[in-house]
Amino acid sequence: MSSVTIRDVKKRYGAMQVLHGVDLEIRDREFVVLVGPSGCGKSTLLRMIAGLESVSSGDIIIGDKVVNDVPAKSRDIAMVFQNYALYPHMSVYENMSFSLRLRRQAKEVIDRKVREAAEILNLGKFLDRSPRQLSGGQRQRVAMGRALVRDPQVFLFDEPLSNLDAKLRVVMRTEIKALHQRLQTTSVYVTHDQIEAMTMADRIVVMNGGKIEQIGSPLELYDTPANLFVAGFIGSPSMNFIEGVLGRDAGGAFVELPGGVRLAVPTMASGVAGQKVVFGARPEHCALAKGDAGVAVQVEVVEPTGANIQVYTKLAGTPFCAIFAERHEFKPGQTIRLDFPADKIHLFDVETGARL
Amino acid sequence: MNTKLRKSIFYWVLLLPLAVVNIFPFAVMFVTAVRPRDELFVYPPTWGFSEFRWENFSEMWVKTNFGGALMNSLYVSITATALALLLAIPSAYAMSRYRFAGKGAYRIFLLMTQMMSPIVLVLGLFRLMMTLGLVNDLNSLVITYAAFNLAFTIWMLQSYFNSIPRDLEEAAWMDGASHLTSLVRIFLPLAVPAMVVTAIFTFINSWNEFVLALTMMRSSNDFTLPVQIYAQVAGRYQVEWHHVMAGTVLATVPVAIVFSWLQRYLIRGMALGAVK
Repeated sequence: MSSVTIRDVKKRYGAMQVLHGVDLEIRDREFVVLVGPSGCGKSTLLRMIAGLESVSSGDIIIGDKVVNDVPAKSRDIAMVFQNYALYPHMSVYENMSFSLRLRRQAKEVIDRKVREAAEILNLGKFLDRSPRQLSGGQRQRVAMGRALVRDPQVFLFDEPLSNLDAKLRVVMRTEIKALHQRLQTTSVYVTHDQIEAMTMADRIVVMNGGKIEQIGSPLELYDTPANLFVAGFIGSPSMNFIEGVLGRDAGGAFVELPGGVRLAVPTMASGVAGQKVVFGARPEHCALAKGDAGVAVQVEVVEPTGANIQVYTKLAGTPFCAIFAERHEFKPGQTIRLDFPADKIHLFDVETGARL
Repeated sequence: MNTKLRKSIFYWVLLLPLAVVNIFPFAVMFVTAVRPRDELFVYPPTWGFSEFRWENFSEMWVKTNFGGALMNSLYVSITATALALLLAIPSAYAMSRYRFAGKGAYRIFLLMTQMMSPIVLVLGLFRLMMTLGLVNDLNSLVITYAAFNLAFTIWMLQSYFNSIPRDLEEAAWMDGASHLTSLVRIFLPLAVPAMVVTAIFTFINSWNEFVLALTMMRSSNDFTLPVQIYAQVAGRYQVEWHHVMAGTVLATVPVAIVFSWLQRYLIRGMALGAVK
């Protein structure tokens, strides 16, 4: 087990720059998730940690050793690939023992380790099968097992669940998390799925366009997103954004939306009256207003999911989604009044996208 | 009659002319090979014969030094195939996995070499082999056959190598394998189907090659099978057709059988199950 430090790492392919200086400190035993839209550089960063991509500039440090020029095979890192990359001509047992056999470990040691890993992953029955005889979920487990037997410094996961169906993905998500709690191996996990990131990570690194947007615990990112991108990326359905103008009066701060609607916001330290801002409210933080308080909106679409009701409306001309845990009987066309608790409101600068 | 059966019959009727065209020369070859000598030129020609003479084969074997020519052919074809593969595998691997300047040009160059007929080059090759002192040496055939098949072999292997996921090698590196180890233990086993196909192709080409063998080999001890059989026909007052045909049967049929058995490798063993 080891920490991983990434210091001002850049990656260029010819004239195209993919990573624009990334700094990241991954602590020993930590489970860090790199998340971002496709093409944001998260997989490239992971492959650079693995040693499968060269570093254009900056340093990658594992433990206290700079590994920029250490080949992948000597970094003592295990990686689970998106498409599993099982060796098709080897049985499950051979797949899992390959790394140990390369290290010329004793037969008994290999056998014990493989069977232990197979036990953990419920693969005991399948050790003699070849990968093609396994289902997607089982292949995924074998790929995990191959990493598990080695007891490496760091685990790397490159979107390991994206080829599984939705149900299995949830199961495996929990299993990987439980596994990490048990083994405590430093792990770096890449995904484009923010729910995976939220549920699994000790800390999440949100990346976009080759830069880190924010690093923080899942709840930090959810409660205090540093900018518009993070606010929109974390949470599902995503946060509602409406542009407006910040104002202040005796009653405190407010945002005036197009059409003259005024919404109270917390009195901010930053942000001056007259400044153009983006008003952000999570769907699950909307409440039904009592009496004539709040803002009137017209219900357009109602989607009950069982656990809650998602209501799609327009607020100040912008599509707006609200989620209620209570089972309201809304009808399309009906007018309802929404209220936003001021402490759950997010404000961002229109120009920079930064949180106010 | 169900539709599947009807379809099968229909397709077989369509295929029949092709089958006849292919099988006819073999049939003639075979019935001539097992006929007694005095029934060779009966008129009108018949398919039947009074006596099934296996002895034709043994007589032919001794009389034409078939064994020697067979060994020569085997030596040349196997060595040429091995040489071609040995040179083509690293080349195809590099073309498939690495980026380097002039890669496209190299591919086109390989293709262009295929546009030249070997017969155009016979004279030049003969003079080259003379300079090298390799005329009348089977190794001259090994080198030229390997060279002529190299371009096709590289193309074939490269396109198959492209289909082997890079992730597999990367996974092996992560597991602690060196480039060489991952090549030998992961990559090449997966490339076996392609290597078998190209080996079959190169072997058959070398086995059947005639013009170069006729040019380079001067002494009858060094003749390969096609030349040896040809020598039974060319420049003779009396051609022992039943021996010629017996020789031809032995030179073609076993190889055809072996390779029709090997062709299961063409479809089997794809990198199935490796990646989703």
